[in-house]
Amino acid sequence: MKKRILSALLAVVMTASLAACGGGGGGSTGNVDENGVTTDEITLTYWHFEDETTMKLMAEKFTEMYPNIHVETRLIDDMSQDLSAAASAGNFPDVFAGTDIDTALANQYWMDISEYYDADPETQNLLPTINEYGLGCFDTDKRYAVPTNYAPSAIFIDRNVIKALNLEMPRTDWTWDEMIQLIKDATREGSAGEMKYFGLGYYNRLDSLYGIAACSPEERQIKGEFGFNGEDFDLSYWAVGEQEFSDLKLNGYVAPQTETQEMEDWTGDWEGYFGTTGHVAVFSEGFWTFMNVWGVEGYQDQWGLDIVPYVTPNVVDEKEHNVIGQMFMAGVSSSCEHPYEAYLLLKFMTFGQDGWNARLDIYEDETILNASNVPLKNAGMPMPTTMDENVWNRYKQLFYHYEENKQYWDDFFASVTRPVCYGWCNIAGYWNFCDQYFNNIGIHDLVDAGKAKAADYVEEATNKANYYHAEAMISYFGPNGYDILSDEELAKYQAVVDAFAE
Amino acid sequence: MSKEKKTKNPKVKIGKLEKKDALAGYAFITPWLIGVLAFMLYPLAQSFYYMWFNIRITPLETKFIYVGTGNFSQIWLENPEFPQQIVTYLWQTILEVPIIVVFALLIAMMLNGKIRCKGFFRLVFFLPVIIVSGPVMNMLVDEGAATIPAMNVQAIVTALDSFLPASLATNIGELFSSMIMILWYSGVQILIFLSALQKIDSSLYEAAKIDGGSKWECFWKITLPTIKPMILLNAVYSVIFLSGNEQNSLITMIQAAMFSGTKEKGYGYASAMAWMYAVIITLVVLLFFLLLGSKKDIYDKQVKRRKRQVKKEARLAKKIERRGIRNVKKLERARKKRNYKTYDGEGDYR
Repeated sequence: MKKRILSALLAVVMTASLAACGGGGGGSTGNVDENGVTTDEITLTYWHFEDETTMKLMAEKFTEMYPNIHVETRLIDDMSQDLSAAASAGNFPDVFAGTDIDTALANQYWMDISEYYDADPETQNLLPTINEYGLGCFDTDKRYAVPTNYAPSAIFIDRNVIKALNLEMPRTDWTWDEMIQLIKDATREGSAGEMKYFGLGYYNRLDSLYGIAACSPEERQIKGEFGFNGEDFDLSYWAVGEQEFSDLKLNGYVAPQTETQEMEDWTGDWEGYFGTTGHVAVFSEGFWTFMNVWGVEGYQDQWGLDIVPYVTPNVVDEKEHNVIGQMFMAGVSSSCEHPYEAYLLLKFMTFGQDGWNARLDIYEDETILNASNVPLKNAGMPMPTTMDENVWNRYKQLFYHYEENKQYWDDFFASVTRPVCYGWCNIAGYWNFCDQYFNNIGIHDLVDAGKAKAADYVEEATNKANYYHAEAMISYFGPNGYDILSDEELAKYQAVVDAFAE
Repeated sequence: MSKEKKTKNPKVKIGKLEKKDALAGYAFITPWLIGVLAFMLYPLAQSFYYMWFNIRITPLETKFIYVGTGNFSQIWLENPEFPQQIVTYLWQTILEVPIIVVFALLIAMMLNGKIRCKGFFRLVFFLPVIIVSGPVMNMLVDEGAATIPAMNVQAIVTALDSFLPASLATNIGELFSSMIMILWYSGVQILIFLSALQKIDSSLYEAAKIDGGSKWECFWKITLPTIKPMILLNAVYSVIFLSGNEQNSLITMIQAAMFSGTKEKGYGYASAMAWMYAVIITLVVLLFFLLLGSKKDIYDKQVKRRKRQVKKEARLAKKIERRGIRNVKKLERARKKRNYKTYDGEGDYR
């Protein structure tokens, strides 16, 4: 009898420990197939910032691959509010993309997916900086997210303007100084009754681009905004770009922004957009502007434009260099009950080759329209983060007049394979630094208005940025957060905080 | 004495009917009581507790990290927007409340007159109360419905700027730019004034007219003093409404802080902000109470003074009475101890 009781107890203990292993190991729970994917009927939720029609179709394609996994998608309106409310209500999404990593890390929204990521061979074929700089690891040795919705900050040139001004098209591997010179040369006062030509029209500020392109990797391995190298900041690089941009603005080389008196004086239209005037030579724009606006069939002919993409120039004359770009971060939520299946969904929606081929099928079919009646490739189509050649060949063909401007596009695409994220997507504490210090005192406005010099802020801003980063690292990854920092790392960040306090 | 007390407050056993009535009363107020407990007192206590913590709502758990007064110092020292918004709120409330109250009083007096389609006009002025609730007002504001299109607000601000401090000029300018919206907030106040006006005894006006009082005099001597408590009520209502509606930037700021995921914000931070804001609202209400609270007239003062005097005299009489009783007892005790001598009437002391 005793034996029976003992063996029964042993069986219970073993079952319990196995169940515990299953839960903690991150594998699938319940019934699984030979690949470790659940065979149970499950539903995963995917929250995102992309076009909802595209994402719904992607979800259907994923379910075609895994018929027992259903996916519900939702467009995030406000990341902080939507996710906080979901966490409070207990209906947190299984996978989501975030625009602001401080919110995600402060609340431990993402789980560590290193185990799945490291074991996945496809992750070795991504844009090099993703693994090289640990984009999505946030300066730890764990991976919490993968980049998605990639759109590099791009330079475009209107060839018609260059022609009208009797200027030469620059070489595609141009340098920063050559770009500045072109902006100056292309700024001309119009003769009587004619609109003025401006050298530059901008959406992305030049200082953001300069800060990444400012120096060779030997000088400083810049892998984030404000000269961030993974350890600390150095805003002296930013300051040069900021000042240069401000000088261009103050000296009349930069086209007015929409809904300003200057725009009305220039075009006669308060709501005018410099990108349709045909009087701007160089554009510092978001990549999506091409596909969403200029790349729409017939648009350029309508406005007399002939726009081609250009490589974001490097300050030093190097062919391969980093470029800044928008990259949201997507990860599996820490409360997800099916982490492996959620990882497969994450991969499909963001970097996986299967996912990208499915996306391209959707984009190539121009009869599919979104809620705004726009073909999906013209609705914020991102750039692949996989290096797969087949994917890239199909992707390039989607662009307007690709074959005619092949050289420009090929050079451009080759130049954007080393992306660096904007700070709020990859640097802990960056958002707080901007919110509470940088934007709060309005440094851009002060420098742009000529009321202050960028160099005056370098020392103070560098110290502040380092402090905010160190404080955030302790908070997010220290004992009150993910608790993955070693004592040495904690002491290192604490020393920065203490030094700042002194 | 004790007998007197008993006759003053006789203990009467409550009858069955009264008990039934009382129960019915409690039953009627029970939903309200439950509402107050569940949706007011409990959240109040909860937010009071929250404000001492940094609260992180992760998908797995809610973490409470005690920060003491950390949220308060964070708000005042690290969030420059909050003090700025408080100043703007104070200016706007002080400027807008009188406008709303005066406008509501004028409309109420007009609606109280002998006009045709009175009911229709009352409906027209009350309709905004229904419309401004919910997100409709936000949509209307976005469409520019809050401003008077013909009014050049910029010109007004520029003119005011020349002789007023910039902050005041901006706030007055803001007032003009949202004039329609402010007037839309007057619906409930109009109703309150209307009901107060209808309760004024018409014989007062008749008597005043017989004495040769003009309409203007009737307004100042009869209408205004009679509805004075309603002015205070409407002022307080307006303050509370302006302080808590969706258009108030402090409310949106607190709401944003509540759902903010950044490490120092969240429920705790928002609770601290809300409590500080509540204190400020209370001070504003107090200010209006001091300005508009009814002061006692001379007759009231005299009556009070007389009452005080009667009380004082009664106290004194009691005091004398007690002293007499004490003295009698003292004499009695001394007599018992025989340690005093009294005159026996025959020239001797015993």
